[in-house]
Amino acid sequence: MSHVKRVIPSGNDSRQNVISSLRTTQLLNSKAVLPAELIATILDYLPIPDMFRFARTSKRMQEMVYDDTRWIQRLKIMGCWNDAEARQRFEEAMKRKLQAQRQADAARKADPALNGNAHGGRGAGDNEGTLSVTLFDAGLEEEMQRASLDRMVRPRASTLDRGFDDVTMSPAGLFRPGPANKLDPNATLEIFSKVRSIRGMARQEYGKIYGALAPFYFDLARSRSHTDPILFRMYRDPEQQAQMLAQLKIFAKSDFAIGWSQREERLETMTGVFENAVLREFEQGYETRDYDGRMKRYAHVLVTLNGGAAIVDTFIHNHPLMLDKDQLGDPSDCLRNAPSGQISLQPSHEFFKDLATKLNDEVSVIDRVFPPSVDVLLPFLDRIGDDIISDYITAVFDEAHDVSIEAYLKAVSGVFEQALQFAITIRPSKGSEQNFQEEAKRIIARCFEPHVDLYLQEELDFFKGKSAAEVEVWEKRLSDEEQSAESFFMSNINRQAVKRDFLTSFKKVVMMPVNVLPTMGSSRSTAITNVVNGDSLNPTSRSSTPVPGQLPVSPGLEAPSTELAAKAAIMNSRLEGIRSLFSIEVALNLIHTAKTSLERAARFVRLGGQSGEESREQCENIFINLLQILGNRHIKPGFNKAVHHLSEYKPREVADHSNQGVAPLVAFLELVNVGDLIQQMVDVFYLQELVAVHLTDRDDFLSPACKEKKRFEQMLDERVAAGLNRGIDVLMDEVEYICGTTQSPGDFNPPVGPDGVVQMSDIGPTETAQKVVDIVSSHTSMLVGSTDKNVLDVFNQEVGLRLFTALCKHLKRQRVSVDGAIRLISDMNAYNAYIATLRNKSLTQYFSALRELSQIYLIAPDHAKEIATIIADSDRYHGIFRAEEVYEFAERRADWFSIKAQVERQMYGVGCIVM
Amino acid sequence: MSAATEQPKQTLTVTTNDNVDIVVEREILERSVLIKNMIGDVGEEQIDTAIPLPNVNEPVMKKVIEWCEHHRKDPPAPEGDDSDSRKKSTDIDEWDQKFMQVDQEMLFEIILAANYLDIKGLLDVGCKTVANMIKGKSPDEIRKTFNIQNDFTPEEEDQIRRENEWAEDR
Repeated sequence: MSHVKRVIPSGNDSRQNVISSLRTTQLLNSKAVLPAELIATILDYLPIPDMFRFARTSKRMQEMVYDDTRWIQRLKIMGCWNDAEARQRFEEAMKRKLQAQRQADAARKADPALNGNAHGGRGAGDNEGTLSVTLFDAGLEEEMQRASLDRMVRPRASTLDRGFDDVTMSPAGLFRPGPANKLDPNATLEIFSKVRSIRGMARQEYGKIYGALAPFYFDLARSRSHTDPILFRMYRDPEQQAQMLAQLKIFAKSDFAIGWSQREERLETMTGVFENAVLREFEQGYETRDYDGRMKRYAHVLVTLNGGAAIVDTFIHNHPLMLDKDQLGDPSDCLRNAPSGQISLQPSHEFFKDLATKLNDEVSVIDRVFPPSVDVLLPFLDRIGDDIISDYITAVFDEAHDVSIEAYLKAVSGVFEQALQFAITIRPSKGSEQNFQEEAKRIIARCFEPHVDLYLQEELDFFKGKSAAEVEVWEKRLSDEEQSAESFFMSNINRQAVKRDFLTSFKKVVMMPVNVLPTMGSSRSTAITNVVNGDSLNPTSRSSTPVPGQLPVSPGLEAPSTELAAKAAIMNSRLEGIRSLFSIEVALNLIHTAKTSLERAARFVRLGGQSGEESREQCENIFINLLQILGNRHIKPGFNKAVHHLSEYKPREVADHSNQGVAPLVAFLELVNVGDLIQQMVDVFYLQELVAVHLTDRDDFLSPACKEKKRFEQMLDERVAAGLNRGIDVLMDEVEYICGTTQSPGDFNPPVGPDGVVQMSDIGPTETAQKVVDIVSSHTSMLVGSTDKNVLDVFNQEVGLRLFTALCKHLKRQRVSVDGAIRLISDMNAYNAYIATLRNKSLTQYFSALRELSQIYLIAPDHAKEIATIIADSDRYHGIFRAEEVYEFAERRADWFSIKAQVERQMYGVGCIVM
Repeated sequence: MSAATEQPKQTLTVTTNDNVDIVVEREILERSVLIKNMIGDVGEEQIDTAIPLPNVNEPVMKKVIEWCEHHRKDPPAPEGDDSDSRKKSTDIDEWDQKFMQVDQEMLFEIILAANYLDIKGLLDVGCKTVANMIKGKSPDEIRKTFNIQNDFTPEEEDQIRRENEWAEDR
C-alpha cells in the first residue's frame, strides 16, 4: 500500500500528540498512526494466528496482544473464567512474589549488573520506555511465567532468562506446551474442565482450549459434508461426538474474527445433522420400547450436545398419550350419565385419575431414559395440559353450558378442583425442580384461565337471577295469601317465651353455619367445602366432616342438614306472625345460594395473578349482591310494611284489648329481632366465607364488600329507628288509651261510704298502673339483646320520657283526695320500680320527682302551709318541676278549693320564696 | 432526535480544521454522538453557529458524511459493554466494503475521525477493514503496511512465535 516511510513517534506518546504531530507533518504526506485503543479494537477482529503474527512486529504490539484482559474476556465469554478462583490464585502468587523478590534482592546483591537489567525491563518510569499497558502485576507475573516456561521448554533460550533462575513461579509441568493436537483425544473431550483461572495466564489457558478445539472447529467450518470433518473420524462414539460438538459450540463464542458468523452457521448445520441422526435413532428405540438401551443412550447423547431440548420434544410429541388422546375419556360422558339438566362429575374424575396413573407410569420411564439433569416431566405435563386437559375441559364446559347454567357452574368449579387434585397426585421425576408441585398447579391453572372470565360472570348472573327469583316467588306467594295471612297474623301473636325459645334455637343455627349451611346448597361440593372449612373458626364442624381430599361425590352431611331443616320449620311456624313481612326462610335460602356460588368462585382465587384477583372481586360482588337483594328487595319492604302497620294503628279503634301488647308493635319488635338475626347471619357468613378464607380484608374500609355490608347494617338500623319512632307513638297511644279507659274516677278519690269511712278495696297500684307498666315493660324487654345497646338506651329513654309526660297529663285529669293519695303513691312507686329496671339515671330522676310530687296529695288540708312549702321546694323535684307546675298538680287535690286561699297566702303573701 | 423528526430539513454547519464550512442535515450529523451531545449541551438556540471540528479535515469529513448519509436510518448503537456488541457485529456489508476502498492514509483518518466524532458503526467498519488488511500477512508485511519499527531481536521474535505455536494454522 503506502510506501512512505516515516519514523513513528514512540508509541507511548498520547493520542493527542499523535494527531497534532500528524497535522504538523501533513505536508510531508506521512501516514497516520492509530492510537493504542484503536489498535486494540482492530485486534479483536483478527483471527488468533494473525494476532500473534501482529505481536511479533514490535514490543508495543506484543504487549497489546498479550494483554491479559483480552484473554480473560474470551475465557469469560466461554464461561470458563472464575473470578473468585483467580483472586485466590493471585493472592497465592503475591506471596510467592514477595518471596521471589526477597530472593531476587539477594541475587542482585550478588550480581547487580544482571539484576539491574532485569528490573529495567518493566520499571514504571524507566528510560527504556517499555510501554506498560497491562496491570503491573499481571505483566510481571506473565513475564515470570514466560521465563520459567522458556526454561522448561527450551533450555537453550537461557539468554532470555533474566536472573529469575531460582524463582519457581508455577508448578512445573502443569501447562502442557507444544502443539495441542498431540493431546490425548480423550483429554480433549473435557478440555473445558481443565481450564484454570489465573491472572496473567489467561492467554496460556486460552491457548490450551484453542490448541485442542481450533483444529476441529476450523476443519468443521471448512468441511463440505458431514462425513468430512476429522471430528467425526477421530471420535466414533456418538457420546464423544456430542461432547465435542457441545464444546465447539462454546468455543465458537470466543471467535470474534471476521467471518465468524459463517463458521458458526456451519457448526450449527453440522450439529443439526448430527442431532437429527441421533433423534432418528432415538425414535427407533422409542418404537421398540427400548427404554434402557437405545433410548437411554441417545437421550444422554443429546443432553450432552445441547441440553436435550429436541429429544424432550420428540419424546413428548411421539408419546402414546398424545397420539391417542381419545382413549382417556369422552367429555360428553359427564352429561350422558347424569339426569337431564344435571352434570355428573364422576366421568371427569375417572378421566383425571386415568391420566394421573398413566403419567405416574411415565415418570418412571422418564427416570429410566433421561439423565436427571433434564426436566422432561414438566414440559411433558405442559403439553398434556395444552393438548389433553384443555381440550377435555373445554368440551365438558361447552356441553354443560348448553345443558344448563347451573350444570356449567358446577362443572367448572368441580373439574377445577379435580384438576388440582390431579396436579397434586403427580409424582415428580428425578429431573424435576423443587417447585414441581407449584409448576404443575400453574399448568392446570393456565388450562382454566380462558374459562374463568366467563365462569365468574355466569356465576354472578346465576346468583343474581336465582336470588331475585327466590324473592319474587316469595312475594308472589305472599300476595296470593295476603288476606288469610293478614288475619292469621293478627290473631296469632307470639308469646314472649316462645319467641325467646326460637331466638335461642335460631342463634344456635346461625352460630354453626359451617357444618350446616353448605349442606343445604349442594351435597356435591361437600368435600371441597371441608377443605375450605378445614381452617375455619368452628372446630365442631370437624366432627361431622368427611376426610378432606376425598373426591366430592359423598352424599354429605345428612344429619346436620335435616337438623337445620327441622329448626327452620319450627322457626317458620313460630314466625307466622311476621311471615307476611319477611321470611327467614327466604333469607336463609339466599345465603345458601350465595354460599355455594361463593365457594365455587373462591376456588379460582387460588389461580393467583389476574384471574385470581378477578375471582376475588367476583366473590365480593356475589356478597354485595346478596346484601342488596336481601336488604333492598326483602328486608326493607318488610320493615316499611311493618312501619306502615304501626302508623295505622289506632288503639281506640281496636276492639279487642285482651291481648297483652300492641299487636303491630309486637310484630314490629319481632321484626327487629329477626332483622337482627339476619344481620347476624350475614355477619357470620361474611366472617366465615370472606374474611376467614382471605377473600376480603375486614379492615379494608375501601373494600366494596365491607362498604356494602356497612350500608346494609345502616339500612337495617335506619329502618329499626324509623319503626321504633312510630312504635313509641303507638305505645304511648296505647298507654293513654289504657289510662283513659280503665282509670276509674274512684281510684284516687274513693267515695266516702255511708259510714263516713273511705271505701278502699286494697292498698296497692291501681289496675291501670299495672296495665301500663305491663304493656310498656313487655315491649321494651322485647328489644333487649336484639338491637344495638345505644339504640335500646335511646329507645328506653324516649319511652320513659313519653311515659312520664303521659302520666303527668293523666294525673292532671284526675282528682285526688287525701285518702286516694295512698293509691296514687302506690301507682307512682310501681312506675318508679319499673323505670328503675331500665337503669337509666335521668329517667329515674324524672320518676322519683313524680313520686315526690304525688306526696302533696297526702298532706292533710289543715297543713296548707306545708303544702305551700312543698310546692315551692324545687330541690325536691331535682329541678324537673317548677313551682308553677307543682302548683298545677296541687290544684288536682280534691279539697283544693278549700285550701287554695291558705296555700296561696302562704306562697305569695307571707313566705315569698318564689319570685 | 425529536427535534430532527419534527423538522427533517434542519441543517447544521460544521467547520473543519482546514476552515471549510460544510452544511449537513442535522439528522445525518447526529449519527455522531459527539455532535449530538454537543447540541444537547449547547442548546437549541445556539444551533446556528458553526460547529468547529479541529481534528477533522474537509476530505475526511466529506467521507464521514457520506457514510452517515447512507446509514442515517440505522438503529442507534447499543449502549453498554462492548464485548457483547462486538460479538453481535456482523461482517462488513457490500456498500461499506466499497466505501472503505480508499488509500490507507484515508482509511486511518476515517477511523480517527469516527473515533473522535464517536460514530460507532463507522469505527467498527474501519477497524474490521484494517483487520482484514492484517489477516494472513507475515510480521514483516504487517510492519511495512503499518509502518511499525521492529524493536525485537530475531531471537525474541522467534520466542514469541514459539510461545504461541498452538495458534499456528495447521
